[in-house]
Amino acid sequence: MRNNKLRSIYFSLFAAFICILFPWSGIALTLRPDFMLLVLLFWLLRAPNQCSVGTAWFMGLWVDLATGGIFGQYALAYTVTTFFAVIYQRRLVLFSSTQQLVYVFSLLLLSQLILLVLKAFAGHEFSGWSYFLPSFSGILLWQIAVTLGLNTGRPSHGN
Amino acid sequence: MMRGIHQNFDQQQAPAFFARGPSPLARLTFFTALSLALMATDSRLQYLANVRENLMTLLHPLQVIANAPLQFYQNTDEYFSTHHYLLTENARLKKQALMQDIALQRLNLLNLENTNLRSMLDAKQSLTETSTLAEIIHVGRDPFTKKIIVNRGKNHHVITGAAAVDAKGVVGQVTRTYPSSSEVTLITDKSLAIPVQIERNGLRAIAFGHGRDNTLDLPYLPANVDIKRGDKLVTSGIDGVYPAGLAVATVIEMRTTQDSPFAHIVCAPTAGVENDKQILLVSIPKIELETAIEALNSEKAIPASPARPATPNNSVPTNPDAQAKKPTQPPSAESPVKKPLANVESRPHAQQ
Repeated sequence: MRNNKLRSIYFSLFAAFICILFPWSGIALTLRPDFMLLVLLFWLLRAPNQCSVGTAWFMGLWVDLATGGIFGQYALAYTVTTFFAVIYQRRLVLFSSTQQLVYVFSLLLLSQLILLVLKAFAGHEFSGWSYFLPSFSGILLWQIAVTLGLNTGRPSHGN
Repeated sequence: MMRGIHQNFDQQQAPAFFARGPSPLARLTFFTALSLALMATDSRLQYLANVRENLMTLLHPLQVIANAPLQFYQNTDEYFSTHHYLLTENARLKKQALMQDIALQRLNLLNLENTNLRSMLDAKQSLTETSTLAEIIHVGRDPFTKKIIVNRGKNHHVITGAAAVDAKGVVGQVTRTYPSSSEVTLITDKSLAIPVQIERNGLRAIAFGHGRDNTLDLPYLPANVDIKRGDKLVTSGIDGVYPAGLAVATVIEMRTTQDSPFAHIVCAPTAGVENDKQILLVSIPKIELETAIEALNSEKAIPASPARPATPNNSVPTNPDAQAKKPTQPPSAESPVKKPLANVESRPHAQQ
């Protein structure tokens, strides 16, 4: 059981990474949700023992590598974001789906804000409000997944 | 008393029931510190360049896999493209080839003439560059930096610093090379500067990427500078990175304000910076630069050794190259910045 779950965690994280590596361009690039963070948050809710802050940090490093930015930016953003997911995990799985949606949305915004601050330190400028679009598309994706039957609530004891 | 017992009970039970390893706060602190340390190391010290290179080699197959669906779609699309479309494209390409053939014939003649003229003037021969065709395999996720990954790397003799060009003009510059891929920073990236020349009047300047809106800036030029809307910027070639005369951008806005001694100039890149699939990586061979530097060094060494005072024959053929190179490059690279600044310093006085 446990192995099965680990395998699906690794597989979904890998799939999210491939999604990030797709040759996005134009409007799709500005709208592209943070697949990696969404998958991480889902597993943090579902399997907090297998997927935790350390996993998020590690995957953040790979995203850093893929974006070609300074090592540690995404790692830090993911670490802090997943921390806030982990400390509220118990309450979060009992939330109604709307409450969950709001919380996940604020987490997505938080990760973008952290990245923005890090970039500001590196001397980059804020590129307009469209910078926050990935959070909206991300939460839309989350809602679609929930509507299609993805269970983001309390894991049943069989699993 | 009862309360105390309860507390003890809770404390004993808690770890067993919520077995989760270190507390989230401890993990947060640990990984945050690790990330910060990594960021500091990567941005200030160059230790991680090798690590990045090795990891990118691991990543390359994944990038190829991620690129496969689009590649497949394009291939099938090409396969099923209509007869009519191919015919019109063929006709257009034939016409273009004919026109370029004529231009090429003239180019050969001009090259010959240029070589002759240069030899008459004893000037250095202009550098011939090598080029590699590369395909974009990945666009950076980061909205702040304008970087792309192309499928040619060290194994294909791409060097760091090579210029990336498409059919219409300069796209960017290779900033990192990996074994089988390399990273190109686009000219619209904030960290990239490119020495340019106004085609109309030969004025030199340095164009900086704006970082957003796909535009370039021409900062530090005085308000009275002779630049108009629609002026074309071409590479000046004085940096030894970009071949001279490539189109870079067109001026789309030229504004002067009362409160600033500088002109506000915005340019749009000529090349399809955002929508290319294939680009050409052009590098000016290092060997020629190196021989020039070596010649310069040997020339310096000769006067130091008094044993051979009268051996000018050896050094004469190489020296003009070296001497021509040394004095021209550094001052010309600096002058575009210095000149306008000098003008600017005098302006506030004039206004007061």
